[in-house]
Amino acid sequence: MDDTTRTLAFIVNGRPVELSVDPARRLSEVLREDLGLTGTKIGCHAGDCGACTILVAGRQVCACLMAAGQAANQEVVTVEGLAEDGQLNALQRAFLRHGAAQCGICTPGMLMAATDLLRRNPSPTEAEAQAAIGGVLCRCTGYRQIVAAIRDATSAPVDQPADAQAVGSRIVRLDGPDKVAGKAKYGADLWPTDALSLRIVRSPYARARFVLGDLPAFRARYPAIVAILTAQDIPDNRFSIVPDLKDQPALAVEQVRFRGEAVLCLVGEHDALAAIPEADVPITWFPHQPLTEPEQALTATGDLIHEFAPENVLCRGRVVRGDAAAALRASAHVAQAEGRTQYIEHAYIEPEAGYAEVFSDANGERLRIFACTQTPYMDREEIARMLKLPDDRVHIVPSAMGGGFGGKLDIAIQPLIAVAAWKLKRPVRHTYSRSESMISTTKRHPARIRARIGCDAHGLLTAIDFAADFNTGAYASFGSTVANRVPVHASGPYAVPAVRALTRAVFTNNAVAGAFRGFGVPQSVVITETLIDELAEAAGIDRLEFRYRNALRAGQVTATGQRLTASAGLAECLQRLRPAWTQALADRRQFNGDPGRATSPLRRGVGIACMWYGIGVTVFANPSTMVGALRRNGRLFLYNGAQEIGQGTATIMPQIFADAVGLPLALVDQVMGDTDLTADAGKSSASRQTFISGNAAKFAGEALRRELLKLIGASQRARLALQGTVLLADEGARELRLDLAQLPADEHGDVARGEGYFNPPTVPLDANGQGVPYASYAFGAQIAELEVDRELGTVRLIRIHAAHDVGRAINPTLVEGQIYGGIAQGIGFALMEEYVSGRTDNLHDYLIPTSGDVPPISIHLIEDGDPLGPYGAKGVGEPSLIPTAPAILNAIYDAVGIRLTSIPATPARIRAALARSPV
Amino acid sequence: MKPAPFEYSRPESLNEALSLLAGDEVRPIAGGQSLVPLLALRLVTPKRLVDLSRLIELRGIKVESDGIRIGALTRWCEILSDARLGEHHPLLREAVRHTAHYQIRNRGTVGGSCCHADPAAEMPAIAVTCAAEFEVMSLRGRRIIAAREFFRSVFTTALEPDELLISIRLPTWRPERRYGFQELARRQGDFALAGCALYWDEAGGCCRDPHVGVFGVAETAIRVPQIEAALEDRKITDEIIRSVARTIRDVTAPPTDLHATSAYRSAVLAVLLERALRASLHDPSHHD
Ligand SMILES: Cc1cc2nc3c(=O)[nH]c(=O)nc-3n(C[C@H](O)[C@H](O)[C@H](O)COP(=O)(O)OP(=O)(O)OC[C@H]3O[C@@H](n4cnc5c(N)ncnc54)[C@H](O)[C@@H]3O)c2cc1C
Ligand code: FES
Ligand code: FES
Repeated sequence: MDDTTRTLAFIVNGRPVELSVDPARRLSEVLREDLGLTGTKIGCHAGDCGACTILVAGRQVCACLMAAGQAANQEVVTVEGLAEDGQLNALQRAFLRHGAAQCGICTPGMLMAATDLLRRNPSPTEAEAQAAIGGVLCRCTGYRQIVAAIRDATSAPVDQPADAQAVGSRIVRLDGPDKVAGKAKYGADLWPTDALSLRIVRSPYARARFVLGDLPAFRARYPAIVAILTAQDIPDNRFSIVPDLKDQPALAVEQVRFRGEAVLCLVGEHDALAAIPEADVPITWFPHQPLTEPEQALTATGDLIHEFAPENVLCRGRVVRGDAAAALRASAHVAQAEGRTQYIEHAYIEPEAGYAEVFSDANGERLRIFACTQTPYMDREEIARMLKLPDDRVHIVPSAMGGGFGGKLDIAIQPLIAVAAWKLKRPVRHTYSRSESMISTTKRHPARIRARIGCDAHGLLTAIDFAADFNTGAYASFGSTVANRVPVHASGPYAVPAVRALTRAVFTNNAVAGAFRGFGVPQSVVITETLIDELAEAAGIDRLEFRYRNALRAGQVTATGQRLTASAGLAECLQRLRPAWTQALADRRQFNGDPGRATSPLRRGVGIACMWYGIGVTVFANPSTMVGALRRNGRLFLYNGAQEIGQGTATIMPQIFADAVGLPLALVDQVMGDTDLTADAGKSSASRQTFISGNAAKFAGEALRRELLKLIGASQRARLALQGTVLLADEGARELRLDLAQLPADEHGDVARGEGYFNPPTVPLDANGQGVPYASYAFGAQIAELEVDRELGTVRLIRIHAAHDVGRAINPTLVEGQIYGGIAQGIGFALMEEYVSGRTDNLHDYLIPTSGDVPPISIHLIEDGDPLGPYGAKGVGEPSLIPTAPAILNAIYDAVGIRLTSIPATPARIRAALARSPV
Repeated sequence: MKPAPFEYSRPESLNEALSLLAGDEVRPIAGGQSLVPLLALRLVTPKRLVDLSRLIELRGIKVESDGIRIGALTRWCEILSDARLGEHHPLLREAVRHTAHYQIRNRGTVGGSCCHADPAAEMPAIAVTCAAEFEVMSLRGRRIIAAREFFRSVFTTALEPDELLISIRLPTWRPERRYGFQELARRQGDFALAGCALYWDEAGGCCRDPHVGVFGVAETAIRVPQIEAALEDRKITDEIIRSVARTIRDVTAPPTDLHATSAYRSAVLAVLLERALRASLHDPSHHD
């Protein structure tokens, strides 16, 4: 009975299966690679994420922690086996109704864990449901909608609101059915059968020069190596998300600037490459002293990480209005603080993955990349430039996206699979391991922030003097975006007459800091919102009331001199939170004042914080184009370039488009992100898609409607309808008919098309940062209720209340999903997350919130419509995360009287601060 | 990364398993929850894996006259669903509630956990605290190893490479026994930063035969004889509790690692000890 491969029998999803496999292989790999059951996902290969959860013998287990031999002769159920009679089962339908799948990468694991629970316990309590999915991580949803779905797995069907207006209704996400069925294809789920793989050799040093040794001899020694790529194989070996500073090589040239930087790439068969000992790779290293902290990099005279960046400063940001210093001197109260935040990892559950292949069509030989991305069009531009090909020779087909949050804006696997495939004329695939993903991709910028804020005797804010240094790591990425966005937002969502806000993005020999939900704003509010609390206390005004009095309102002027004309809903957010605030304060007073608790270590606290956020890219043009069509087959078709990353553009855009045409949503088909078919709708970042691409979709729908009315000869007032291929226009008095099947169509079958374009109006900022950086701003406020254990230093969240002014909720379920998920990330940022390269490159040392860490959340949607937005909508993706951390920090202060300015507020930090504090 | 290739056997009998284990560079695999990742990262590179899953001799929990005997292949989920343990070993049940998440508890075994010997794991802590006996076999014969000798240091036990852990015996749980279990983990299901398991027998309002174990704070779980001595034959008062909480800080020197400094662990350990002692004062029937 001993072999390295042998025939194993399983029952998979009810079918007997026999396979000749190595019994020591992970069951997850056998399911995915040998049986093609890619519904089971891989997020870590270590038991940490639970994405691979399946049922074996009826119980939930991690498929990645089981050797195939251990499952022999057992019954295995994967997500593909959940459907009943080809229909989604009750649990899957509940996931759809509750919006429990966003990016959907965790969904199969969640469903399997929940299936195990529901078999044992058909009506679980909230705590039981939470515990059952405790081993499955989700980075998108904050778990609340998942727990609700598990507790509501009833026979109810999934109803799409019919015919009625699509905008504003709780449309079930259109990409949802594929996600809950395990059919959505993520980056690692499709590959040409003859694809080769990569092994990327990375630097073990944060800063070093290196010399490559005898590569031909190395290759000769290991026949598994089909090719070795070095920097020289890349025609234009520089990239960066920003157009004007391409500073990052895909493979390092002579020197490395951070630990984990790629230096060499082996191409071949995956397992054979893995067997080559790292020590045999011929590289000689000459390590240097790395510059690890911005303080060090700023003062390291002449010791430059990049020649082009004197003093190691990438970029400075500046907004100055009035005389902040004088205004502070004249203020009745001034509060000041300095604080720090750490590197934060996106920790999307899907590591970067995809493949590249060469193909030919009428345009000749071309390169196709199927991979997860937030920005298909920029990928195309970047890869074409790096390979020195015309843009139209590169075809980007985005995979389903297993979470991005900003981390999949910069290219990652793309250049190396592209260069390898182009050079070898063979398909090449690659999937980052969890640690490869963590060490090599971008992070949230660590920040050091100093601020002084003043108010007058009535509690009206007078001035802020703000300075922040952002550690941008080894390469530029979004460093300048952060440095420029933060000063604009430094005053917070308040009317502050005098502002001085200065920022620097500083190069160091650390992981590249890039885009992460909020671009530096979440870091700065950690300090500024705690100072607002201190001023409220100094002025003797309730903390919510203080914010209410100072809230920016329509008609007022921002720190950049921009007059807000409409849709500034902070005051309304605060009004809506007042009852919860009053109640929460009363509850905590009662709890803490209970004489029975005099010696208890537990103290409760309540905190509040506010935010505002400019929608879209700061100042620079960031247009979107959308194209919609009516097809000869009687269906609408949306060429949707706004990449779905879990946030919902695959649903929102068709909703807006359908309403603009005046036809039912159910008629809309779409293609997403494919650069051969769609038009450029820009990046899925900066909370811009609903506002900007949403407008483009609306304009495309309106243009198509005009086209159709012209074709059929009806007036503007006509109501359109479709009966099969017949278009009807009802004008009250008469009804016009047009059979589309009789009309000439293009190669796609489109008989009429409409195009929409929108670029938000902005005015460039002058030397003092005065201008109109954004056309629209989102506002919000959150309250955190929590309990601190003074002896252990631990924090237990009790509830979070969130009020967000989103302009208009195109789809309330999706908006709420963004808010839950943003808050969960805010909780991680506040309490547990801290990325240290080489130490927390995995999901058991890098802690993100689990289902047990996210308390109940009450959401209030404020719809202060923005006249510029589609149907009034703004954005919510980033805003929801911003106030969470300061609300938590303010609640900790309220509970135990300590101000933490260095986060995360770990139990050890809280305990140490308590030990220092006088009480 | 994939594991290096090796042979895989699934013996049907204990004897067959022991014969295989007598070979060179052989590793038993139980639940695989700790071993599979190590294999995949090539941190462990055996020539042969011996899958224990068919060995019925290693299965099941038996309530016997000298205690409970837990087969090495017993999974966490089996401990949690075994109603007899509410009476026969509530401390064990309480501890296992803190072990990992559902998926891991459905596969991970008592034997695997003890042989893996993570200093922060719950099961080794219970074994040490309760003075368990480890039944071990090889072709060379059978031997019994006391818990305090079984765990040598971080990830290191007294097992020889050809030996198999068969079962663990926890001495009889007495009806008058009081217990407490406390641990601090950053998130639910994570390994503990520090923890404390203890029990004592109530005799006329006093504490008899106290066993106090701590984990996550040394190379292995350890008992703390200084504290046991301080509690023996005493009435457990607030004052005693405060005094032993001070003692524990003097007699332990926890490590500093990524997740906590020595000072924090030490402070937290004192709090956990205090809380475990207070919990043990409650009527045991209120624990479940
Ligand atoms: C995400 C995650 C979280 C976890 N959290 C916790 C936690 O909070 N607390 C905790 O205690 N544990 C935790 N664990 C570990 C878990 O409890 C494992 O079940 C346990 O460590 C190993 O059990 P196993 O049966 O899977 O052993 P295996 O992985 O199969 O084996 C572990 C080791 O023991 C050896 N071995 C196994 N059985 C025998 C035997 N009978 N005789 C001799 N040698 C043997 C193997 O050769 C191997 O070296 C966690 C694991 C994961 C993946
Ligand atoms: S892939 Fe199995 S737990 Fe993460
Ligand atoms: S929906 Fe859970 S990780 Fe994205």
